[in-house]
Amino acid sequence: MTTAVVDVTVDDRSVGIAVSGEVDLANAATVEDQIVAAITNQVASVSVDLSAVDYMDSAGMRILFALASRLAGLQIAFEVVAPFGSSARRLVEVSGLALLVALRPPMDRAAG
Amino acid sequence: MSPHAAETRKGAADRLRDIESVTEAGLARLSVDDLLVELLDRVRAILDADTAVVLLLDEPTRQLVATAATGIEEEVYQGMRIPLGRGFAGRVAAGKQPVTIHDVQDADVVNPLLRQKGVRSLLGVPLLVGDRLLGVLHVGTLTPRHFGEADVDLLQMVADRVALATQAHLSETERRAAVLLQRRLLPEGMPQVPGLEVAFRYIAGGEGDVGGDWYDMFTLPSGWVCMTVGDVVGRGLRAASVMGRLRSAVRAYALATRSDPAAILDRIDRMLRHFEPDEMATAVLALLEPSFERLHVSLAGHPAPVVATGAGPATLVDVPVDPPLGVAPPLSRRATTVDLPPGAVVCLYSDGLVERRGVPLDARLERLRQAVTVRAVEDVCTTVMVQLVGDDRPTDDVALLTVRRLDPPSAEPLELAVPAVASSLRDIRAAVKRWLTTIDARPEDVMDVLLAVGEATSNVVEHAYGPKGGLVHVRLELQRPDVVVTVRDDGHWRSPRGRNRGRGTHIIHAVTDEFTTDRRSNGTELVIRRRLGQAGSHS
Repeated sequence: MTTAVVDVTVDDRSVGIAVSGEVDLANAATVEDQIVAAITNQVASVSVDLSAVDYMDSAGMRILFALASRLAGLQIAFEVVAPFGSSARRLVEVSGLALLVALRPPMDRAAG
Repeated sequence: MSPHAAETRKGAADRLRDIESVTEAGLARLSVDDLLVELLDRVRAILDADTAVVLLLDEPTRQLVATAATGIEEEVYQGMRIPLGRGFAGRVAAGKQPVTIHDVQDADVVNPLLRQKGVRSLLGVPLLVGDRLLGVLHVGTLTPRHFGEADVDLLQMVADRVALATQAHLSETERRAAVLLQRRLLPEGMPQVPGLEVAFRYIAGGEGDVGGDWYDMFTLPSGWVCMTVGDVVGRGLRAASVMGRLRSAVRAYALATRSDPAAILDRIDRMLRHFEPDEMATAVLALLEPSFERLHVSLAGHPAPVVATGAGPATLVDVPVDPPLGVAPPLSRRATTVDLPPGAVVCLYSDGLVERRGVPLDARLERLRQAVTVRAVEDVCTTVMVQLVGDDRPTDDVALLTVRRLDPPSAEPLELAVPAVASSLRDIRAAVKRWLTTIDARPEDVMDVLLAVGEATSNVVEHAYGPKGGLVHVRLELQRPDVVVTVRDDGHWRSPRGRNRGRGTHIIHAVTDEFTTDRRSNGTELVIRRRLGQAGSHS
């Protein structure tokens, strides 16, 4: 069975959601529930970090597309974090999600 | 006294001739079936009887089965069965004593054939070897007759002869059947799995009396590889046939159960306890992931496999031993995962290899551990057998199965057929990943091909089949400089439903070089081509 871990960090009104492991059709619904549960109506910005994702496909992208459209409606800022050269970043780019959300590398590498 | 009574009709010389006629050495050359018929003919002639029948005891059902007959052959043709203790033959068997019936009309006779045939008088004697009952021999006459003591003695003499011949025949047949069965029930060879090297040894121990050891190795459509060695307690035909059933059951449950050796052993355990509560077996079950990187091991009263990785001496896999199969009430069986780096050697074996009377088990295990090193599996098997068996003929069966994970694997095409369910996706990816490393694909290629295969197979899972489900077939072939991926189903495609769907095909297009879909009434085939070493052109 495909497994992923969803880690949530709340800092004032911004929520950091770090996903690790694999996300496919088998566990996408579970991962989506965990991500959505982490976002309250009081939140001003959401960051989803895919740095530790080993595998993700369009099942995972569907979560992020749905989230992007709902957060846009709620006027909550949304960014996706993925390192250069990672499969997750490639997926965010080729799926077209990069056109809808802010995509940036992790902080420690952003400077470089 | 009846005019037919033997003692009034015959003199001592005749009696002697009669005895000779049924004890003649020449008869020994006949097969048991021919011998039975010949003896029945002779005894019928001597006793001036009209019918003669041999019924043999079928132990499992406790019934007497008509096996040979003259004058009333229908009994055999119809496979007449008489419960022990009931009717005429049943009483002879139950009492292990001769029984005579003067007139069938007044007696407890269950066999309707006897009445139909018009049999009036009967004499039956038990077939005994020592105290053990093998069956019943009886003769009948169509006219009423009093069987006397001499008749009983003569018939008993024939019965003893029949019993000995039958006994010898049965034990020989059983022994041969067990040997044959064991040979047929064990795998005829080992599967050729690209990336694995396999060798095995099997010695039937004891005095030619087979035991219940088995070994098996097979691949599953999901790409997992299953290995098992087990030992049914007991010997002979019975142990061999239970072994055969267990081996089949392991295969069936491995196919139907999620890839967890403890779960598979648990089902076998339940099966054995329910259907064959008198049987007990020990087993080791090891499942190799499609990536070949990890081995999942579960033990049922069985010694742990030995693993040699090349880093330090070989070790016994540290896995808790759960109870044997078929004995304990339900429990939660445990499995342990072992990393298997390329080159690693795994040895599964039966306890016949390590148990020797008078030698501590730990000493034998230590010896085995030292004999297993990282090298060709045939060499490993040879060394193990030399070190642990040597010139000491084993008293028990010995089964040894050795598997090595090869590092420079071939570029044979990868073929998978797995249930089109979401839980298969991870296994598919693992197999694809392993195959891609065998062709030295660069990380970018691996990433993109994995994504393309993932999307294509997810599509099948979501859209190809109704609730009944079906299979998704995946094939990867190296056609340098391209990898060609074929994903096929046998279903009827329906359009994606829900929001944010249908992105998969877009992604496949983006990460591959060529992508065609062939949608037919009996299924859909996607062919994806990806040039290796060109990821840069896409991103």
